[in-house]
Amino acid sequence: MQYDILEKPDFSLVRVEFHQPGEQLLVESAAMVAKHSALEMRTQMQGGLLGAAKRKLLGGESVFQNTFTATAPGQQLWFAPGPEGDLEVVEMDGRTPIFLSSGAFLASAPTVQLDTKWGGAKGFFSGTGMFLLVAQGTGPLFFCAYGGIHAVDVGPAGYICDTSHIVGFTGGLQYTVNKVGGMKSLFFSGEGLVCNFQGQGRLWISTRNPSGLVSFVHPFRRVQSG
Amino acid sequence: MQFDIQYRPAHSLCKVALAPNESVVAESGAMVGMSTNVQMQTQSGGLMSGLKRMFGGESFFRNTFTAANGPGEVLLAHSLCGDMVVLDMTAPGYFIQSSSFIASTPNVNIETKVGGFKSFFAGEGVFVLKATCQGPGQVLVGAFGGIQELVCDGSLVIDTGHLVAWDSTLTYNVGKSGSGWIASFLSGEGLVCHFQGQGRIWIQTRNPAGYGQAIGELLPPRSG
Repeated sequence: MQYDILEKPDFSLVRVEFHQPGEQLLVESAAMVAKHSALEMRTQMQGGLLGAAKRKLLGGESVFQNTFTATAPGQQLWFAPGPEGDLEVVEMDGRTPIFLSSGAFLASAPTVQLDTKWGGAKGFFSGTGMFLLVAQGTGPLFFCAYGGIHAVDVGPAGYICDTSHIVGFTGGLQYTVNKVGGMKSLFFSGEGLVCNFQGQGRLWISTRNPSGLVSFVHPFRRVQSG
Repeated sequence: MQFDIQYRPAHSLCKVALAPNESVVAESGAMVGMSTNVQMQTQSGGLMSGLKRMFGGESFFRNTFTAANGPGEVLLAHSLCGDMVVLDMTAPGYFIQSSSFIASTPNVNIETKVGGFKSFFAGEGVFVLKATCQGPGQVLVGAFGGIQELVCDGSLVIDTGHLVAWDSTLTYNVGKSGSGWIASFLSGEGLVCHFQGQGRIWIQTRNPAGYGQAIGELLPPRSG
């Protein structure tokens, strides 16, 4: 399987070419843009009803996902996330898990296992959701964000990230949710709470946040009469 | 201090590299990420200047980020999609449309100015910001959409919703776009800014209020 990401960073699109019959890719529901007609698509609840329900409720992913299976070499598949923005792919090495915040998952090889993990009550305050999606295994993992995706290699000094801008991070990182600055800053800085990452690994940050757009557009909605 | 703008134009992000003990002043809510040795302080700069700023369409408070014990970095972004540009301070300074301001070097003095009572109707608030600086300094401004630098050689007319910043060597007044008020209204251009003199004007290629109206109409009504 060979893939490339087109139209980065604003309107990114993945193009996959399968080399062997039987090669598979698991793609988030509704993300398919185009495919060769003979490329087989099967819709299923990954991990059965309970697993799917847990991911939907806890990890923010859809109940159903589509598995695309090549029936001949050279078949192609194109897929893209719903919102405008960037997407990133990581070849998982079988050792380091990747944690994704709610809604960031886009696609993965069938050799990548997906599960939800309790992010602790701190997740509730962090804007990443109470639960994180954990990806483990080998093969490509595709994830997306509204806006650009900025990678930060976190070293021993750690890194601070606004809670609503976290896309994902590798397993070597731990985080705590803190306020930044003094008490005055907590209420007035507009920065609210931040995640303080420690350890060694990579952190992906989105350069925009959909709630910024939503709160801008909201006042332009008509007011319901009566 | 170094400003490095990445992910241009739609989802631009500015990486500010701070030398030890160097500071950058940023609009409230603009920080996306930063190194752990950067300390943030929130200032209103006094009640009056805070209030004035709030009326200027910005937030009451601004944050100062300082690198302690070595170099540091701060990532800054606008909340809407669009490009950013760094303006090197000049002796006359700049006028900045208030919601376009993102950050500046700490030596830049940002004053909120009344933009003329007519601009009240222009959808951009009554106030504009005036940035001045003794010596070298920089201001980071952000736009909705792309940014174009136009040159005013004599006179130029700009839609108020598309203004980002302009050289303060220019005189300006907000007025009607057509020959009469009715024609101005019907043209859909509403109010425009008439510039006179020599200088540069930075415009944004999309008008936030225009976008808000186009989308807002399509959304279900809100309850209040």
